[in-house]
Amino acid sequence: MSDPAKSTLGEYGVQSALSPEGVGASAINGLTIGMTVAFGVLFVLLLIFIWAVVSGKLAPRHWWIWTGGIALPLVSVLILMGFSTVILQRITSEDPEALVIEVTGKQFWWDVVYDPEGWAMRGANEIVIPKDRPVTFRLKSSDVIHSFWVPKLTGKMDMIPGRVNSLPVMATETGRFRGQCAEFCGLSHPKMAFEVVVLEPEEFDAWIERSSGEARDAVTTELTRGREVFVEAGCPACHTIRGVAETGTLGPDLTRVGGRGSLAAGMYRMNQGTLAGWIADPTAMKPGAKMPSYNHLPGPDLRALSAYLASLK
Amino acid sequence: MTDRTAYVVDLPEDQSYSGSAKGEPDKGFERIWDAPPGIRYLSSVSHRVVGKRFLVTGFIFFLIAGFLALLVRTQLIVPDNTFLDSETYNQVFTMHGTIMMFLFAIPMLEGFAVHLIPLMVGARDLVFPRLGAFGYYCYLFGGIIVLSSFIFDAAPAGGWFMYVPLSTSAYTQDLSADFWLIGITFAEIASVTAAVEIIAAILCTRAPGMSLTKMPIFMWYLLVTAFMIAVGFPPLIIGSILLEAERLLGLPFFDIALGGDPLLWQHLFWLFGHPEVYIIFLPAAGMVATMLPTFVGKPLFGYGFAVAAVVTMGFLSFGLWAHHMFATGLPVMSLTLFSAASTMVAIPTGVQIFCFLATLAQGRPRMDVPMLFILGFLFIFVIGGFTGVMIAAVPFNLQAHDSYFIVAHLHYVLIGGFIFPMFGALYYWMPQFTGRMMSETIGRWVFWLMFIGFNIAFFMMHLTGLRGMPRRIASYPEGLGWDRLNMLSSIGSYILAAGVMLFVFDFFWHQRHGLRARRNPWGAGTLEWLYTPIPPGFNFHAIPEVRSREPLWDQPELLDRPAPQVEGALRPCTDHRRETMGNDPITGAPMQIVRLPHPTWTPLISAFGLALGFAATLASAYWLVAVGFAIALIGITAWIWEPSDSGVRRDSGLRGLRLPVNVVDPRSHLHIAVVGTMLISFALFASLLFAGLYLWNTQPHWAETTPAADPLMAGLAALAALSLLLFSWASRRAAFGAKVTPVIAVDLGLAVGAIGLGALLFLSIQPVDPYASAYAAVGWALFAFVAGYLAVVLYWSLINALRKAVGAVKPGQMLPNLLIATFAKVVAIMGGMTAAAYLLAGGAI
Repeated sequence: MSDPAKSTLGEYGVQSALSPEGVGASAINGLTIGMTVAFGVLFVLLLIFIWAVVSGKLAPRHWWIWTGGIALPLVSVLILMGFSTVILQRITSEDPEALVIEVTGKQFWWDVVYDPEGWAMRGANEIVIPKDRPVTFRLKSSDVIHSFWVPKLTGKMDMIPGRVNSLPVMATETGRFRGQCAEFCGLSHPKMAFEVVVLEPEEFDAWIERSSGEARDAVTTELTRGREVFVEAGCPACHTIRGVAETGTLGPDLTRVGGRGSLAAGMYRMNQGTLAGWIADPTAMKPGAKMPSYNHLPGPDLRALSAYLASLK
Repeated sequence: MTDRTAYVVDLPEDQSYSGSAKGEPDKGFERIWDAPPGIRYLSSVSHRVVGKRFLVTGFIFFLIAGFLALLVRTQLIVPDNTFLDSETYNQVFTMHGTIMMFLFAIPMLEGFAVHLIPLMVGARDLVFPRLGAFGYYCYLFGGIIVLSSFIFDAAPAGGWFMYVPLSTSAYTQDLSADFWLIGITFAEIASVTAAVEIIAAILCTRAPGMSLTKMPIFMWYLLVTAFMIAVGFPPLIIGSILLEAERLLGLPFFDIALGGDPLLWQHLFWLFGHPEVYIIFLPAAGMVATMLPTFVGKPLFGYGFAVAAVVTMGFLSFGLWAHHMFATGLPVMSLTLFSAASTMVAIPTGVQIFCFLATLAQGRPRMDVPMLFILGFLFIFVIGGFTGVMIAAVPFNLQAHDSYFIVAHLHYVLIGGFIFPMFGALYYWMPQFTGRMMSETIGRWVFWLMFIGFNIAFFMMHLTGLRGMPRRIASYPEGLGWDRLNMLSSIGSYILAAGVMLFVFDFFWHQRHGLRARRNPWGAGTLEWLYTPIPPGFNFHAIPEVRSREPLWDQPELLDRPAPQVEGALRPCTDHRRETMGNDPITGAPMQIVRLPHPTWTPLISAFGLALGFAATLASAYWLVAVGFAIALIGITAWIWEPSDSGVRRDSGLRGLRLPVNVVDPRSHLHIAVVGTMLISFALFASLLFAGLYLWNTQPHWAETTPAADPLMAGLAALAALSLLLFSWASRRAAFGAKVTPVIAVDLGLAVGAIGLGALLFLSIQPVDPYASAYAAVGWALFAFVAGYLAVVLYWSLINALRKAVGAVKPGQMLPNLLIATFAKVVAIMGGMTAAAYLLAGGAI
């Protein structure tokens, strides 16, 4: 884990396609390495050939064009297409038993619903999945086009308004992997990230147990005050906290907000300080965010509200 | 040789009209070709002037877009940088891509084409000098409109690809998207006019004896490119018009709530966007294929292979567009097909590369500066080709797509495949523009700075992308493994920029201190080096006969005497008019003498009127829109109202061969141009039909619920289309007739047919509410499109009738009737297809 004092996220390799931790990404990485080596060798051979040509060691022949220009590309491409088609089949085939997670891209965050047909638990900006179990993401958008990309798990898939796309994944290692919107979606496109948390299957089941149901109760006077501020300041117009106010759907579900690793869609570490900063001035942390500024809240109220939200784990 | 002129009203020699009313008898041959002095320089239409305008303007746009690229690299040099805010950054990368693709690359190649085609095929000017000048002004004004968005703080920020719905009014409320759509579409007029001009110039004005197989290889590359522009640009033009109509009028083409589809935009955009890449690459490869033989001293090896490869590439490029959309959720079957088609491009590319290598192997190449750039092109472009095959593999594409791997790939292809050959070409052909040689010493520095800087900047981006960095992000968090790679890329970009700046310095320095170029300074084999640079305003005193692909190497009579004394056609200048030779497109045999226009203001006036109209649309000042288009119409009318040159016969100066001037014949350059125009028009129409079919296929619910067009009226419209077809057939027949006055009836028939077809199409679509669904809106768009073309038929046929009525047309001068016949025929077909589409969509058939 990275330095908790750092306000922004970032850790070497958590978003790299070259250190795959999923079935899809591993298969693609094999293809990447194979192609890089093969084309690297071909390129070096070509350079040697060009050197020989420029220094006048070879006389031109028509069969150069037939072999180098036609046969060689044709054969390489056919071999490549063979591998590519097999891998494509593997990474796109869906397991009917897979856990379905619906993710809706929004400017500039991710709305998440686990098992929409059954359990239907809503979250945001962090997706928890089990290791070694198939998961299918159902990808939607409610405004512009976004693209869902967790390089360590598998390739990307666009989220297009009016359509539903599917992306099957299976994680092979536990950990925290970073994903990011890969289709330019407007002002804060660079600040639309998220994390995928992969748990051991039994831990995942325990997490389900823990996360279902209503939000944690407020146990101190400050937290109780924070909960009051949440309601009085009008937050429920957009946000849901199960057990407190359940009508808001425009913004992220906050029932477990303090339990998420990051704030503002994968951009900042989650703690009371960043939460308070966000509530006071969201567009300073993320230009174009739809949430209005709550800078007018008195200091103690802001502290209480942020403490309350941070306690919702 | 001119046997097929049986078509022509064959006036007896002594009755042939004596000449042209518009000559300049006070001037000698050389003065006739001089560019006008002072402010009247703007009225110049000569290809040399227009070509230089394109090149200089294009290069300035290149410097602007390059500066924007440096802003991008400076922003990304460290993580979490605050040098630019998100909004500015989005504007900067959008404008970088937009300017590079639309306002630099295409105009630059047009500049080379406009300047070099006549010199290389042995013509004194392009066939349609006014069209070239008009295209340039459209490009200039369109570019200014796009750039001016910075001043109004409304620079486009939606990416050069303008994906919907981000670029619709719901998500882009300000004018930024309108600046893009209107400015770029206006500038694209230059591309399509250039396409028509290139096709007609190469096919119709070659030197005597230059058959298709004796053309310089560059002409083949340009010919294929021109056809690709003609078919490739229309989908984007239609897409842009639909999107602007949605933004301006609220028509729901892309609105999901009313049955529109965001993917329709992507299909239209990439139907253009992928051929666009080859449109940029092919002319550059053609310049390489032209320069390479010069430095080896031997002809291009495998000319036939190269031609076949280029033609193949032209066709293939239209079957690959969806590889830009692999991550949009297309079915696996489509993915596989588009993937296979994409990888197949490796073959024609490989053929060309090996033709170049085999050419190199014919002799030890001289390592002059252009040659260095050619080797740089080979190195960089081949890497871009390999990564191109990699991303054609769908699984890899799903990781690499929209990451920095793609940024690396596309710059390897475009900088390797276009910028490096272009700099080589600038060094090579610079004497044609300035009469002086650029510095070999500085040139080497320019090359090495650019080559090293480029590779430092872009090679490591492959890795940055695979480490997960998406494109188009204004900032990135520290520590993800991207920091040092980005720093390296930024440093490389500064080195690359230093190379470009050194080139700019060299350009100004050589104008004063460069060595004066001798005749044929590089020892080339192609005709543009016949005269000592700078050649004077007229390209050739006499147009030489060509017997070889490398005439300067194989025809000693061309270089053994001063260029003005080289023998050939059209040395006499009897009518004091600008003239060049016209040939049979296929055989290259001399067929006619082509009269060319003298300097005129009409292109500038027409382009200015259009610019005013478009700019006023942006400002929502609709009375000014009307004023602008009225000015344009006046300009165009003045342009086309001129005495006919047909019906004159002249000695060609070629072994006593007498040829008709501006022959009335389907092989005439004007008729070829109309055919080219109708190819573009039909591609536009097909793009609209595609939009309708696409929505019908993907949004069947909306196709069913949209009310049907009136079947009775649509049926009548189909009959009206048939009658227009008949009148166009009659007009074609009449063009070869010996009497003028009765043909007025045919002209009026065309006018009435056009009005009738338009009215009936309107009545058939009238019950449909264009705002009800995207499908209905496309129906109206089809009507508006055909109506626009019918208006042209109406205007043109009335002008033709009027000219005959006032006696401006003599027998043998009815070429316009031949031209409008072809034009109206295609319009009638499009109208008939629209009527059929209305019937089919309504379930009446």
